Amino acid sequence: MNGRWLLKRIGMSLLVVWSTITLTFALIRLMPGSPISRMRAELYQQYGATMTQAEIDRQVRLYLNVQPDEPLWQQYITYLLDTFQGDLGHSYVQGIEVTVILADVLPWTVLLLSIAIMFQYTIGILLGASMAYAEGSRFDFLSTSVSTFLVSVPFYVFAFLLIFFFVFQWDLFPQGGKYSTGLEAGSLAFYRSVLYHATLPIVSLVITGFGGIALSMRANSIQTLGSDYIRGAQLRGLSNFRISYRYVARNAILPLYTGLLIQIGFLFGGAVILEQIFSYRGIGYVLLDATLYRDYPLMMGTFMVITIAVVVGVFVADLTYGKLDPRIQTGDSQ
Amino acid sequence: MSDASIENEDIPLEVVSDVDQTWQDTVRSLVNAYVLVPGRIMITDYRALLGFGIVFGYLFVGTVGVWLMEPTTMWDGDRLVQSFETMAHPLGTDPQGRDILTLLVYGTRPILLMMLSGGLFIITIGTAIGTVAGFSRGRLDQILSMITDVALTIPGLPLVIVLAVTLNPESPVLIGILLAINGWGGLARNLRSQVLSIREEDYVEAAKAMNVSTGNVLLKDVLPNMMPYILYNFMSSMRGVLFASVGLYYLGVLPYSQENWGVLLEQAYSGGALTTWSMFHWIFWPIVAVVILSIGLILLSQSTDKLFNPRVRARHE
Amino acid sequence: MSQQVVAQENILELRDVTVSFGMNRGVSKVLDDVSIDIHRGEILGVVGESGSGKSMLASALLDAVVDPGTVDGEVSYRTDSGETVDILDLEDEELRQLRWEEIAMVFQGAMSFFNPTMKIRGHFLETLKAHDQDVDEGMEHARELLTDLHLEPDRVFDTFPHELSGGMKQRALIALSLILEPNVLVMDEPTAALDLLMQRSILTLLDDLQEKYDLTIVFITHDLPLVKDLCDRIAVMYAFDVMEVFPAGDLSNSTHPYTRSLLNAVPNLTTSLDELRSIEGSAPDPVDIPSGCSYHPRCPLSTPECEQEDPPLEEIAPDQEVACWHHEKVDEELPLALETSDGGSAEVYEGNQSDEPVVVMDDIEVHFETDDGGLLSLFDDPEIVRAVDGVDLEIYENDVVAIVGESGCGKTTFGKTAVGLQEPTGGSVRYRGQDIWETKRGEGTGDRSYDEIRRALQIIHQDPGSSLNPNRKVSSILQVPMKSWQSDLDVEDRKARLLAMLEAAGMSPPEDYADRYPHQLSGGEKQRVALIRALLMNPDLILADEAVSALDVSMRVDMMDLMLTLQDLFDTSYLFISHNLTNARYLAGRAGGRIAVMYLGEIIEIGPAEEIVQNPQHPYTQALHWSTTDLDSNSEGEADESPIRAIDVPDPIDPPSGCRFHPRCPEAREVCATEKPSLDSGTDHCTACFREYSEDHPYWDSEPLGEETIGAHVGGESS
Repeated sequence: MNGRWLLKRIGMSLLVVWSTITLTFALIRLMPGSPISRMRAELYQQYGATMTQAEIDRQVRLYLNVQPDEPLWQQYITYLLDTFQGDLGHSYVQGIEVTVILADVLPWTVLLLSIAIMFQYTIGILLGASMAYAEGSRFDFLSTSVSTFLVSVPFYVFAFLLIFFFVFQWDLFPQGGKYSTGLEAGSLAFYRSVLYHATLPIVSLVITGFGGIALSMRANSIQTLGSDYIRGAQLRGLSNFRISYRYVARNAILPLYTGLLIQIGFLFGGAVILEQIFSYRGIGYVLLDATLYRDYPLMMGTFMVITIAVVVGVFVADLTYGKLDPRIQTGDSQ
Repeated sequence: MSDASIENEDIPLEVVSDVDQTWQDTVRSLVNAYVLVPGRIMITDYRALLGFGIVFGYLFVGTVGVWLMEPTTMWDGDRLVQSFETMAHPLGTDPQGRDILTLLVYGTRPILLMMLSGGLFIITIGTAIGTVAGFSRGRLDQILSMITDVALTIPGLPLVIVLAVTLNPESPVLIGILLAINGWGGLARNLRSQVLSIREEDYVEAAKAMNVSTGNVLLKDVLPNMMPYILYNFMSSMRGVLFASVGLYYLGVLPYSQENWGVLLEQAYSGGALTTWSMFHWIFWPIVAVVILSIGLILLSQSTDKLFNPRVRARHE
Repeated sequence: MSQQVVAQENILELRDVTVSFGMNRGVSKVLDDVSIDIHRGEILGVVGESGSGKSMLASALLDAVVDPGTVDGEVSYRTDSGETVDILDLEDEELRQLRWEEIAMVFQGAMSFFNPTMKIRGHFLETLKAHDQDVDEGMEHARELLTDLHLEPDRVFDTFPHELSGGMKQRALIALSLILEPNVLVMDEPTAALDLLMQRSILTLLDDLQEKYDLTIVFITHDLPLVKDLCDRIAVMYAFDVMEVFPAGDLSNSTHPYTRSLLNAVPNLTTSLDELRSIEGSAPDPVDIPSGCSYHPRCPLSTPECEQEDPPLEEIAPDQEVACWHHEKVDEELPLALETSDGGSAEVYEGNQSDEPVVVMDDIEVHFETDDGGLLSLFDDPEIVRAVDGVDLEIYENDVVAIVGESGCGKTTFGKTAVGLQEPTGGSVRYRGQDIWETKRGEGTGDRSYDEIRRALQIIHQDPGSSLNPNRKVSSILQVPMKSWQSDLDVEDRKARLLAMLEAAGMSPPEDYADRYPHQLSGGEKQRVALIRALLMNPDLILADEAVSALDVSMRVDMMDLMLTLQDLFDTSYLFISHNLTNARYLAGRAGGRIAVMYLGEIIEIGPAEEIVQNPQHPYTQALHWSTTDLDSNSEGEADESPIRAIDVPDPIDPPSGCRFHPRCPEAREVCATEKPSLDSGTDHCTACFREYSEDHPYWDSEPLGEETIGAHVGGESS
């Protein structure tokens, strides 16, 4: 692995995290009607004269990681250091540490999204490759049309339809939640229940997501199929399986990576809507909750953690990309 | 022709013309290049035509349609009239007796405004940052690329939610821009790499040798090559803004002064439209409005490549 | 070699082979009833211009025509055991085994033959496995093949394709094609994308391999002179059929008018310059082949008989067949213009160079920093590529200077520095005495503005496909130069002028050409437009960077003639860059100009064109000279030994010490590795080599560095 390339990727990831922290700081501190003045006003209203100015500031510092009487740059440094040490402040509504809340919900979102991404790409790649092999056939035409249609449907619309039919009309799936209550955590029944509850959210993401992947895979494969090295491989008598797997698929998948990087961010963002529809208490659900209650510390903390999750996802994807395409690390790729 | 010896009096450097071109000629050639030729190309492609028809239809509804229809109020009709039951309420009514068709028509305008402002914002910022980064070497390129990467990585919806809650914008135009706030990253990154390869093209070097200004090189030699991609991105950005706006209105995190499809969706969902068939049309029609517009944009965007391809253009002149 | 085979057994026989594609314009026959025999153990050259169907012939031999093309006829292959099989009748599995085990193929675009995501070793391994061969034994054979081709097996195995240079990739591919020890090797333009010296080196190696492994080779190319010494017989293709087959040793054996005209159109190093004639007209469309003899519309010997009836390929001598009604008259009517010129007897286009230099370059250095470590390098300290390293050159008015060298020698960078498109990192470029870059920065003292200098220095690029903006029409492209410096002209004046120029460049009717997009022009026409565009700036110096290399052989003379004609009219100078000594000779020779030879960023020899060609001094120039075939020689069926000791050019990041050519130089002695010869001055013909120094120079007492050259290497090992 190319050391400099790795360093660059890590630096880039840190830069994104730093930008996000700075942004949240700016939003908290600088925006008109800022959370700080709001919180102060509320504390004042609540306790009136019984609370000293110093006590109010201490409370603000505890919740928002900001010391209002310090100079701005000092506040910023404190905020930055606190955040990097994993201190995201306290939830304003629930009164507990933001990190504790988020540590509880993040794995659920990651579970949902990683299964969805896996299915999206597996189906998309297989379908796209078969479409390319059958280019011009009726199957190709039908699949292209269906894929184009599915790309036109936002995932939440599909989620509505799934809920309408599978929950309320046919009563096949639960309407919300992450698992049935009363099951012993870790038991087989528990895991089954987890999957059962995750089915509809995942299906709505997969159905609306694989079409776009299939279409680009189709285009990439058609281009790869026309390349000289495919012809060379055929002349050398390689088996069709080896050609389709080691030559066509391997090279046609590479351009999909750019899409994957964007897809990761898109899915984490979309989690806010998805988890609301299915009442699935993941990180997106928490963000929405915090937003509606104007729970600023929780809101900013959640936003940061979502960003970090995306950064990590992109980083991992980047690493595998570097493994798949030898041209990346020597900088020869277009 | 190799032996064709050219006499000295043939030196063509001195030739001048005795005809003057009028402004009518200029207008005619402009109309030809930007209206007639694209039109002729589009007519040959039924998908492009369909896409154009759909998008144009929505534009019509969003502008003229609003003037043709009286706004609907509570108890305009009976509660929950089903679709296609009466001519007065072709798509039915909601539980408050409001006409769903009218609600949709009135909801079109703010949505279109958001899409347009968001789409324009994305292609303006994306094109500017992408081309400048690609055309300038060194420090400026590094900084712009870094900003692009950051914009590309920060997840869009959460950022928009956080910003919307803090900034509380109400005008559709501002909301559109907010929704597109970091949507330009992909376009900028892609254009940068396109510019990087175009600037290495020999004809760009030849232009430099002929002392053509950088601005003119960008305008005449670089941008036209990227136009199909920029237009394509315009369409898909508008689609992204459409999806995001409807989704966020549904969540109730965006403020609004005027009802739109997203708000209708939210009202229908929280009114329990998903629980029974009798209310299903209430949530169904806003969904259809979103999906058809989205299909129209996709079909249109798939044809942009053709509109600018010189090989296709040459056949339609 | 083939001469020693007593019975000339045919290993492949083609009978009435036709390849056709159904198109909406009609059926397109891209191979039209071809019948030809290929002898066991021979090297058959198949020569034709682009679009003559020669690539289809290669595909047909392996029944590998791409869909939706169909092959008819008969391709019989005689195995070692004497059985005969018709390749076109084979079942899929039989065909799969025949390919690569019996007949292997190296086709055009070899640069992209390898899977970009797999190391070279993987390609060898999977081929062996696919044909159920013993892997260890096979890889041992692969090592031997790579070594024969002057590659280090361990290093090459462990690289990805993009990490190899073009020449290395090409040789690795040849090794891959021989891994299963086939009897026949079909090569379709295997070297077209490489430098001439590399092409010739590979041909030399190929000759040795053919002998060592007892191969039959079908070598398909557009470049007749290139393969003349390699091949035993040459088949010439025109309009999708074979026109004639003749023994390669002596080109005067050719008896078809097309072959003669083709030979007379190709610049070479010996023919007197004014004997070159391009062929009138153009090759036919595969949908609409002329009746009778397909060459009759362009043939000077054509008679009504030729229009009526297609002449069959008939044997006129042993090993010689021709399809022409008038082949007896060819020697008389179309003699080969091969007689050696007596050094500059050619009509020279007014050698009126003044003594006034237009551009003076003084100790130019261009060093690039690179992030990309290149071959196998994983360390990322920015490395310095010394593209140009201390070069002086003066270019006069109405001058032609041709710069010759291999790719990567810095000639393009140097050229761009000359016309002010590349800023040198050291030294100065002056236009009529005024420093270009100082003027650009506004520091200059001269009275000329930068705009004026910019106008005077123009460029024509190598690749016709990229030199014109695909989105603009010719008329719009050609208006740019006039808008740039003649703002007094209005649209109509500009149009009138560009039409006149198109007409003058032979693009008629000009109105039609002006209204076209670049993709509607042929390569030659695109280059003409680029030339016109440069001339419309009324420049003093035009950099022509490989301006004819991408054109078909028969078009090159045409383009160079146009350049010379227009030079006279516009009073401009050319800096002509080429990897090909013959093109350089043609252009510089006719204008009475000079040729400069560059090697790894330095000029190592410079002098009057004919001097350099007829009397090269530097061993490198001699190697370049060797790489261009002597059409007149009668050497038969063997490429002579290469005069260089290493095929690949050293890395310009870390150039060799002393004389940079010493690792490849056959004359190198120990002193060459430590001391650097300078370009002697004072005379017209300067050479940077110790051998030009006086006899008391330490070179003459120093030990030679090694004797082995490329041809000797493989041959010695194999015997």
